[in-house]
Amino acid sequence: MSRDEGEDEADRVALDSGAVWPADADDVEEAVVANWFVREGGRVEADAVVCEIQVEKVSIDVPSPVTGTLAEVLVAENESFARGDPLAYVTPA
Amino acid sequence: MAQAATERELTMSRAMVEAVASEMRDGDEVFVMGEDVADYGGIFDSTQGLLAEFGRDRVMDVPISETAFIGAAVGAAQQGMRPIAELMFVDFFGVCMDQIYNQMAKNTYMSGGAVNVPMVLTTAVGGTYNDAAQHSQTLYGTFAHLPGMKVVVPSTAYDAKGLMHSAIRDDDPVVYMFHKRLMGLGWMPAPEGPKTPVPEEAYTIPFGEADVKREGSDATVVTLGLHVHRALEAAETLAEEGVEAEVVDLRTLVPMDTETVVESVRKTGRLVVVDEDYRSFGLTGEVVTRVAERALDDLEAVRRLAVPDVPIPYARPLEEAVNPDTGAIAEAVRETVE
Repeated sequence: MSRDEGEDEADRVALDSGAVWPADADDVEEAVVANWFVREGGRVEADAVVCEIQVEKVSIDVPSPVTGTLAEVLVAENESFARGDPLAYVTPA
Repeated sequence: MAQAATERELTMSRAMVEAVASEMRDGDEVFVMGEDVADYGGIFDSTQGLLAEFGRDRVMDVPISETAFIGAAVGAAQQGMRPIAELMFVDFFGVCMDQIYNQMAKNTYMSGGAVNVPMVLTTAVGGTYNDAAQHSQTLYGTFAHLPGMKVVVPSTAYDAKGLMHSAIRDDDPVVYMFHKRLMGLGWMPAPEGPKTPVPEEAYTIPFGEADVKREGSDATVVTLGLHVHRALEAAETLAEEGVEAEVVDLRTLVPMDTETVVESVRKTGRLVVVDEDYRSFGLTGEVVTRVAERALDDLEAVRRLAVPDVPIPYARPLEEAVNPDTGAIAEAVRETVE
């Protein structure tokens, strides 16, 4: 989904990979998005799992911080990202 | 599309776990035990998250002791519990087959129905990721061959959840064989197909009902597990050539939905059976025989694809060579319609 003209960027909330990074993986700098459970444009609930990341051998759930719409996925399935990168944007509803 | 976008999609592993968790909430007699099922969440994510919700009394890690813990599950089931025991790799069945073959499968019969064995044996099957001869077998035929055992093989998240609810509620022993490649693991990406929309609420899928995953008029492809997705891919290729293949996913081997297979062959006249298990004395021969018994006159051509009678090779090109791929399935269908 492309960013709509006039959409208020400030309203979008990032799905923050740093927030779920495991404490015992401090020396790991890269991980992979294993699965998206909601498609772009789909509804997400606050605290419900939106995607799953794989940090070394451990898979970690990434919950949505807010209820709303999965507005833009930044890291596709099986693609890697750096620790702390945002994974997607959620538009609160 | 608008509807699909709002539906949540689950991987097959999450769908399985959701059914187990739901049944555990509904009944204290349901519990899980196996190697690495608690802290690790199952090496193929088959029990992920259960420990946190249900604790160690109901989600039990056990030592490498298959005979002991599968035997314990059989005993617990006979006492009214509903255990789910995980045999980490189906390849390990050799060390505990007495408990599976002689106790789990037969105790209902041998007791004259005085006890039943409402347990589920979950186990990971399949290769395609270079794990060699002792960690890559599929062995559908070995378990389906046992009198007294029901055998379930899901190919999608939707089926995995519904079949797991049915398996746990079943009063007889069920072997639930999940293909590692379909689970949606981060380190072993699944093909596109197994991740599907899955309802939040509990639902069951009856055993013995095959699912026609794609309709077609020219040839019937009967398969299960990973090869449902390979067959669907092959069918897309064939459709571009003007050949419409019907893809029948058996979903349960015991009981087997012979009727759906026969009906499909009566329509198409051509049968291709695809299996990741060994060729001889196995599923492919069984399906072909059932169709021949019921609809010999309708059969114009038959092909079967399976792993030749060799251990699964470690080397990637060799493993790929023995495992029926999309191209091989398409070619087999072409041969039947020539």
